[in-house]
Amino acid sequence: MEEKLRELEERRAKVLAGGGPKRVAAQHEKGKMTARERIEMLLDPGTFVELDAFVKHRATELGMDKIDAPGEGVVTGYGAVNGRNVCVFAQDFTVIGGSLGEMHAAKICKVMDLAVKIGCPLIGINDSGGARIQEGVDALSGYGEIFYRNTRASGVIPQISVIMGPCAGGAVYSPALTDFVFMTEGTSNMFITGPQVIKAVTGEEVSAEDLGGARVHSEVSGVSHFSFPDEQSTIEAIRKLLSYLPQNNVEDPPFIDIGDDPNRTDDSLVDLMPDSPNKPYDVRDIITRLVDSSDFFEVQPNYAKNIVTGFARLAGRSIGIIANQPQYLAGVLDINASDKASRFIRFCDAFNMPLLTLADTAGYLPGVEQEHGGVIRHGAKLLYAYSEASVPKLTVILRKAYGGAYIAMCSRHLGADQVFAWPTAEIAVMGPEGAANIIFKKEIEESPDPAAMRKDKIEEYKRSFANPYMAAARGYVDDVIDPAHTRPRLCNALNALLGKRQSTPSRKHGNIPV
Amino acid sequence: MKQYRITVNGKSYDVTVEELGAHRPAPVSSGAPAPAPSAAPVAAPAPESAPQPAPAQPAAAPANGGSIMTVKAPMPGTVIAFKVIVGQQVKRGDVLLLLEAMKMENEIVAPQDGTVAALRVPASAAVNTGDALVDLA
Repeated sequence: MEEKLRELEERRAKVLAGGGPKRVAAQHEKGKMTARERIEMLLDPGTFVELDAFVKHRATELGMDKIDAPGEGVVTGYGAVNGRNVCVFAQDFTVIGGSLGEMHAAKICKVMDLAVKIGCPLIGINDSGGARIQEGVDALSGYGEIFYRNTRASGVIPQISVIMGPCAGGAVYSPALTDFVFMTEGTSNMFITGPQVIKAVTGEEVSAEDLGGARVHSEVSGVSHFSFPDEQSTIEAIRKLLSYLPQNNVEDPPFIDIGDDPNRTDDSLVDLMPDSPNKPYDVRDIITRLVDSSDFFEVQPNYAKNIVTGFARLAGRSIGIIANQPQYLAGVLDINASDKASRFIRFCDAFNMPLLTLADTAGYLPGVEQEHGGVIRHGAKLLYAYSEASVPKLTVILRKAYGGAYIAMCSRHLGADQVFAWPTAEIAVMGPEGAANIIFKKEIEESPDPAAMRKDKIEEYKRSFANPYMAAARGYVDDVIDPAHTRPRLCNALNALLGKRQSTPSRKHGNIPV
Repeated sequence: MKQYRITVNGKSYDVTVEELGAHRPAPVSSGAPAPAPSAAPVAAPAPESAPQPAPAQPAAAPANGGSIMTVKAPMPGTVIAFKVIVGQQVKRGDVLLLLEAMKMENEIVAPQDGTVAALRVPASAAVNTGDALVDLA
């Protein structure tokens, strides 16, 4: 018996050592942790339970019969984050470059299946050179099996991908299919085809960092949702994100009272709104005054900055916030902003998180580039996502809500449950200048002083239409409120709406204009 | 941040180079390609008397080795006023001009530190998306 125990110990020690001290040191030199160190840091201390430690590949071609790969280059298992179950896998770059072969993929698939069965979030840490070429189609099959499971689990459990090393070729599509992608600056890359291939095919020269580094994907492509300077801060952010989320689609998000009075009023909100409707401000200053303890966790903070998305709590309940950002591109809706917001809305709806929308936008961005880029079908996603969402939907119209953008920003017409407007709201079919030019064209042209007449007519239009009262008169706006009382009103409305049940027509699935 | 070890006259220096080109508008006007990791400005002071271990500071200079970065209009609108003059030093985030667009006086800010090399349009000009507004050196 003792001998057998010793053998077990030896075998386990070998797996725990990964690629051996030399490769582990090389990993550390790059500022990267090992797969096991990352899991240890992510999970509550002592909660990790490993699965499939002794799995081995069965490839024999191209010298694979002589290659020993402890743990098959991936560590899988389950544990707890903030006391709640999660499943996790972490590719081990120290073992044949974390390359993905048949059995490596089988380990990942097994832990994915487990996460769905028990209904808990799945976190995948990617650090892999790509497909294990020696394993040929078996490696491809592995990727396919993972993509299939990512898709089947979408909207059932939260799926989080973490890129902490290379992630190239087909490998990028698993993260792309998940809900959130985290990247660590300086050490992570994502691309379909790498710099060498691009150079050979198109002649363009680009570094891996400029092609698919954390900055590119968080600012330009929108592939990544979060990027952080190092692995530790990346992992801390994952733990924070999880604190807002439910375990699965049939559970409500956790209720966490962080001790902020739901009836707290805030007079400074009045001063935050500039007197002139043409002056920008940072909508995040408003968000942080409304939510519990100013705690706002922004999603995609550096991509499509004209719309702000993120998680917060109102009276202890997790909500998703979507807000136009007047400080950036006048807070217009455009292709990227529509894309960003609609994906966020659909995540929240899938996981029972109520939506709070703060509207202040003059409309969709005009321009040939936008029209030719398909702003019609991209903008339609926003309408679709809001209309489809059956969670409680609260809207506050802060200032401008013109035309199509008024409708798009979760208006009553798209199913908002409560719509509030500040007295500064301007809800109209278009802005005063444009409207006056059209409606009063004749009067202005025929006037002896067209400039003065135009000014008069703009004022007239502003008085009659650029306010919240026309919409309130129709019941499109439930109430016009003092900005200082926004938080109590929202907390109250959310509380009243918690029992909301809305059934959707029976169908396979809708056809969002992707 | 990139770390380079540079040897000048047999003496080696550890140099930290920070990439400041954190924003899109690629240097357009001067056909200089993407900011080459310019070790050059560091190696420059190389008189034979080994230079004092000059604190690795040259990174403060434009990382793109003196090329021009053009700030372009993000959307169609009217330039209301420039907030800078030619020759003025600006820091990343400083307001360069106000662009009235989409019923808003939008602050167009410097994407990186630099010196204002040229104002490319007159105040009150109507501009389109992508039109050059300010050159930074």
